[in-house]
Amino acid sequence: MQSSPNMLTKFESKSSRAKGIAFHPKRPWILVSLHSSTIQLWDYRMGTLIDRFEEHDGPVRGIDFHPTQPLFVSGGDDYKIKVWNYQTRRCLFTLNGHLDYVRTVFFHPELPWILSASDDQTIRIWNWQNRSLICTMTGHNHYVMCAQFHPTEDLIASASLDQSVRIWDISGLRKKHSAPTSISFEDQMARANPNQADMFGNTDAIVKFVLEGHDRGVNWVSFHPTLPLIVSAGDDRLVKLWRMSDTKAWEVDTCRGHFQNASACLFHPHQDLILSVGEDKTIRVWDLNKRTSVQSFKRDLDRFWVIAAHPKMNLFAAGHDTGVMVFKLERERPASAVYQNQLFYITKEKHVKSYDFVKGVESPPMLSLRKLGSPWVPPRTVSYNPAERAILVTSPTDSGTYELIHLPRDATGAVEPTDVKRGQATSAVFVARNRFAVFNPASQQVDIKDLSNSTTKTIKPPAGTTDIYFGGTGCLLFITPTTVALFDIQQKKQLAEVTVSGVKYVVWSNDGLYCALLSKHNVTIVTKTLEQVSTLHETIRIKSATWDDAGVLIYSTLNHVKYSLLNGDNGIIRTLDQTVYLVRVKGRNVYCLDRNAQPQILQIDPTEYRFKLALVKRNYDEMLQIIKTSSLVGQSIISYLQKKGYPEIALQFVQDPQTRFDLALECGNLDVAIDMARELDRPNFWSRLGAEALAHGNHQTVEMTYQKQRNFDKLSFLYLATGDKEKLSRMAKIAEHRGDFTSRFQNGIYRGDVEDRIQMFKEVDQYPLAYLTAKSNGMTEEAESILEACGLTEDQISLPTIEEPLKVPHPIVPTFKSNWPIKAAGHSSFEKALLGEVGASDEEAAADGFEIEDDEQEAVLAKDTLDDDEEDASGWDMGDDVNVEEDVEFVNVESPEAGAGSSEADLWARNSPLAADHVAAGSFDTAMQLLNRQVGAVQFAPLKSRFLEVFKASKTYLPATVGLPPLVNYVRRTTEETDSRKVLPIIPRDLETVANADLQEGYAAMRANKLEEGVEIFKGILHTLLVNTVSSEAEVDQAKKIISTAREYILAMSIELERRTLSTDDPENLKRSLELSAYFTIPKLEVAHRQLALMAAMKFAFANKNYNSALGFANRMLANGGSAKLLDQAKKIKAQCERNPSDQIDIEFDQFAEFDICAASYTPIFSGSPCVTDPFTGAKYHEQYKGSVCRISKVTEIGAPASGLRLFVPGQY
Amino acid sequence: MDPFSAEGELLNIHNAFHSGQYQFVIDFDTAALSPENQLPARVFKLRAQIAQGQANEVLAAVSSEEDTPDLAAIKALAQQAAGKTDAALRLAQDLAENYPDNFTVQFVCGTVLQAQDHSEEALALLSKHQGSLEAVALIVQIHLQQNRTDLALKEVQAAKRWAQDSLLVNLAESWVGLRVGGEKYQSAFYVYEELASAPSTTAPLSIVGQAVAELHLGRVPEAEAALTAALEKYPEDAELIANSIVLNVLAGKQTADLESRLQHAQPSHALLADIQEKSEFFDTAAAKYSPKVSS
Repeated sequence: MQSSPNMLTKFESKSSRAKGIAFHPKRPWILVSLHSSTIQLWDYRMGTLIDRFEEHDGPVRGIDFHPTQPLFVSGGDDYKIKVWNYQTRRCLFTLNGHLDYVRTVFFHPELPWILSASDDQTIRIWNWQNRSLICTMTGHNHYVMCAQFHPTEDLIASASLDQSVRIWDISGLRKKHSAPTSISFEDQMARANPNQADMFGNTDAIVKFVLEGHDRGVNWVSFHPTLPLIVSAGDDRLVKLWRMSDTKAWEVDTCRGHFQNASACLFHPHQDLILSVGEDKTIRVWDLNKRTSVQSFKRDLDRFWVIAAHPKMNLFAAGHDTGVMVFKLERERPASAVYQNQLFYITKEKHVKSYDFVKGVESPPMLSLRKLGSPWVPPRTVSYNPAERAILVTSPTDSGTYELIHLPRDATGAVEPTDVKRGQATSAVFVARNRFAVFNPASQQVDIKDLSNSTTKTIKPPAGTTDIYFGGTGCLLFITPTTVALFDIQQKKQLAEVTVSGVKYVVWSNDGLYCALLSKHNVTIVTKTLEQVSTLHETIRIKSATWDDAGVLIYSTLNHVKYSLLNGDNGIIRTLDQTVYLVRVKGRNVYCLDRNAQPQILQIDPTEYRFKLALVKRNYDEMLQIIKTSSLVGQSIISYLQKKGYPEIALQFVQDPQTRFDLALECGNLDVAIDMARELDRPNFWSRLGAEALAHGNHQTVEMTYQKQRNFDKLSFLYLATGDKEKLSRMAKIAEHRGDFTSRFQNGIYRGDVEDRIQMFKEVDQYPLAYLTAKSNGMTEEAESILEACGLTEDQISLPTIEEPLKVPHPIVPTFKSNWPIKAAGHSSFEKALLGEVGASDEEAAADGFEIEDDEQEAVLAKDTLDDDEEDASGWDMGDDVNVEEDVEFVNVESPEAGAGSSEADLWARNSPLAADHVAAGSFDTAMQLLNRQVGAVQFAPLKSRFLEVFKASKTYLPATVGLPPLVNYVRRTTEETDSRKVLPIIPRDLETVANADLQEGYAAMRANKLEEGVEIFKGILHTLLVNTVSSEAEVDQAKKIISTAREYILAMSIELERRTLSTDDPENLKRSLELSAYFTIPKLEVAHRQLALMAAMKFAFANKNYNSALGFANRMLANGGSAKLLDQAKKIKAQCERNPSDQIDIEFDQFAEFDICAASYTPIFSGSPCVTDPFTGAKYHEQYKGSVCRISKVTEIGAPASGLRLFVPGQY
Repeated sequence: MDPFSAEGELLNIHNAFHSGQYQFVIDFDTAALSPENQLPARVFKLRAQIAQGQANEVLAAVSSEEDTPDLAAIKALAQQAAGKTDAALRLAQDLAENYPDNFTVQFVCGTVLQAQDHSEEALALLSKHQGSLEAVALIVQIHLQQNRTDLALKEVQAAKRWAQDSLLVNLAESWVGLRVGGEKYQSAFYVYEELASAPSTTAPLSIVGQAVAELHLGRVPEAEAALTAALEKYPEDAELIANSIVLNVLAGKQTADLESRLQHAQPSHALLADIQEKSEFFDTAAAKYSPKVSS
């Protein structure tokens, strides 16, 4: 019998025979008691032996962890039960009482009890808190091999070599030992004699059922965790299933298969399965409901003795002759596939679901794959094809099967799939829109299949291939145990190969340029052509990986989420409580599937790897941004930066002065180093700083450090070297003051100060030297006085030959005044960026003061202005739907059979009454006709560029057969539409662009006082809107508003431009100028802009002593509010004008009257006086301008009869 | 065995030609091919040369071998490409009459005829094909140029029944799809995206196709990314430039530069001709209108 493909061994230990096993309820630990008297504590995740406990004599058979406390219990062939604390690693106490081998020991799930079964034919219950025996159960008449508490009820099951299984009721014992409510006499009696039967012969534990059916001794018995079921294993090689009710218990069925003694058995904690082990060297898995064998696993040499289940996780452990194995029955990695923002995955119930990353919602089940593979085997992989909305699922059942299934359009529930294509293969992946590859390891063959599941091509993969993966469009990756090969399916040739061993998973980056190859302990990053970029090793198993959009690989191990940059730099992002499988990273969220196939979102802090990435890419702005906005500190990042040779950047993160000092020295940043040295103020820092500063040539700093260190000699020498005589003499004085003659002598030499030297020699009674000095320097008088003082004469002294006295060189350049040329401090580009940014922002702040205020104002007041506009627009009747359609004549050229059809462009013109659609169709004449009717357009030249623009955007050119012109296709705005009667062309520069880009550009021109430019921009807006379409009535209103805004701005700017052409020299022109500046304030501009107009008008009026008008403008400004600076000026002028509110020049402007400005003559049109309107812009004119071209739009005829511009046809879009 | 089937010798050269990798076709080593496939392979190579603008070299190469109808057809194509349209048309009509069953004659002469607007003749010649995908593709294109999407669709669906997975049928289906619109845009996009992203088939042709499909899908930024990258790689490709112009207009950007580039690359391009024509048309149409009062 071969090993089942689904049994996955996670850990194996080598030791002597393992007789008892216990899982720690939370930690990845397992206790193993051995036949050799040792108890081992293993970490099965890391595969390490944590501890050994060796106090038993002889084999240890029973072992159990306490569910909550750091305790475990063991029982051995030395008749002893020992309770241990694994934290203190000591045996706490020993329970003596059994008279023969102890077979099993178990803690009670809640009460402080221990249950033991022994060869002395008794089962005993012990209280481990007061360390006493509280109950002895007799009844079995042979060795008791196993005794277990029921997980929730007051029951015990025991198995004995007397061929029976007994169920004991211990509710009496619990009652006796729970907190007494009222103590009866019997209770007192019972308490007094804990181990004996009471006076009526009842014990605390009574046999409830005796289960007979095994023909030999019974080795093991287990309760079902939730159902009233019992399973037992015996030397008759049978595993028996029993059921019990309150009153009786009976045998349900027998699982036959073991061909040697069955040693132990248990129920799967959360699936309907039974597991059993036996001396026939097998582990067998049985279906609880059918009692049929599901799978079995055989060891070659070792008999199995015991099996245990992890209480929560999908993990089991079995003990055999040479150790322990920890295994799981099925893979827990949920099959999943990611496409754009969707994750497709298969749940534990084998339902296909999708998860939307953006919305964060799970879809209802889309399909049920219940029939795929066998019931206990989850699917292994899923591959998604967006073009066909199909999935390929593989299952390891029957040495590998795959199914190709189309997903339903809408997720309506777990329906059984229809039209399933299936076949034999261990791997199946989509390689193209209509092709998938399946791999069959038995035949070592890869078949390329089309969607009807027929083979179109067969490829022989490299020998030893174990798996295939998608390798980029049209390519496959072949995984062998030692290599990965890239294969082009179409050309049928291998493109590249890379040597990486044991690759299990392949994860492509989002842009398809890189690929991560995951092995058990290695991540290898390769390019799409399989050139190795980096590789890293993990001691803990690598589980999954996914790519960040920036090209950082985020991967998960059993207990960490980590990252790796392309260069191999990696680090930990966070720890994990449970193993998860990453599927996507977006910003701070990591999306993953847990082992229950539930989508989860983990929060991560991407700062560290983003920072490192920015560093690698030398993206200093981003680094700066990260430094400013996040608290990225810590030793690791500093040492990382240092290691990578960026001490200057590390400097930005450090607070600790000593580290800062070190880093500053390293990157030669003396300023920081000085600051830090001051702060630390310790000699060795000063000396290091001094050495560094000297190397830099910064002798001023050197001087300071020597001063700090009181290093007088060096200081003197420094002054000598820099030629600072003044300070040298001060040094001499200091030396004198200190009484340090050597130093004084030195300074004397340095300074060439002979007198001082002689004086010093005399002071230390060195008269010979003093004399010699005096003599040699030609100071005869002094020499003689010395002689005299010594009472000697000249001839008594013999002198060496005296040469020229040493002259102290004079400094030629006073280098002490400033530093020597300083070694360029290593300002990295990062620091430059840092400095540059600071500088730039300052400038900006300085230069932009006024503008910024303006912007704010605008934002605040935008709403008001919009309201204004609305009022304004209401007067402008767009005219209701006048059906122009019938006016437009077309010739229907479509002929039924052969010959050419009509092009889509013709259809557009036919399908729409909007001028823009006709323009796009190239039907300029009809478009003009429409515009003429709708808005009285008569002068089309200014619209030419717009017409051509719309036309240009209408067609694309698709090269088809070589030698023929490209196929022309027509770009639609109705991208979903296929009905030729409803298709419509795309019109570039839609309303949104106009509102968001063009309009803002116009405002900017106004702010910047570029009025000519502004007029052109606003005219462009008018022309763009004239030939355009919108998608709703609301947008029609918005378009109207924009048209009137553009009109007002053009008018205002034109008035101001007109004013600027006038010279103010002659009084006539001055008057006109004053009037125009007043009219400039009339059009309905944005408030911020109107303030500018008012400001200009106010100043101009004030300067020309028209105080009354100026006062009016000032009042209006104040009423508008806004920037304080403007208001201040207005207030000042107001105050001055109020003293003499009169106008020197009488102008035609009444600030209190309602009037419009004629857009041609720039004169007022008072309400009530006759005027004409432009049908498109709504601009007002004096009557005499009727019939001429509108000055605002330059296209339409003033006063022409018109039906109103149409931009929208209901139901058309 | 059909030489173009999945296992056939000519599959690679055929696919390379139709995915626009002309240099690959020209460099293709034909020595290993079986004798009966030598001529079709040569035809591919010559067509690739013509597509690369080496029509005169091709003319020189085939001048001595006009007895072979295949090569004579190529000569007609080369003449057409070299601007000798009258001679090309005469030769093509001649060949169509004498060798109407020759596979190469059918689609090469069909191309020449269609290029000179003899669509009916071209269709008549092509209708004689027996399972030639190239003929099918050409028929589809002619129908599309005549704006008979319905007929083109019929042709493609018929071809799909016997050659579902041929690259050429996929392409022809995409051509039709881009006319039909709606969901078909997305399908066409997938076809071109697959071609453009696979290293063995990426070429200006496939990138243009992908970008065009994206434009039709209204995904301007994606189309822009594809075209900008492609333009850097193939700065002279006329269709890339032409479609970039369309794209830039849609994105609200200036196109004057690109238009002059196109003028340089291919002055006869349909886009330029259209603009020229429409510009004149505009002027004549606008001249009909004038304001009542001139100001």
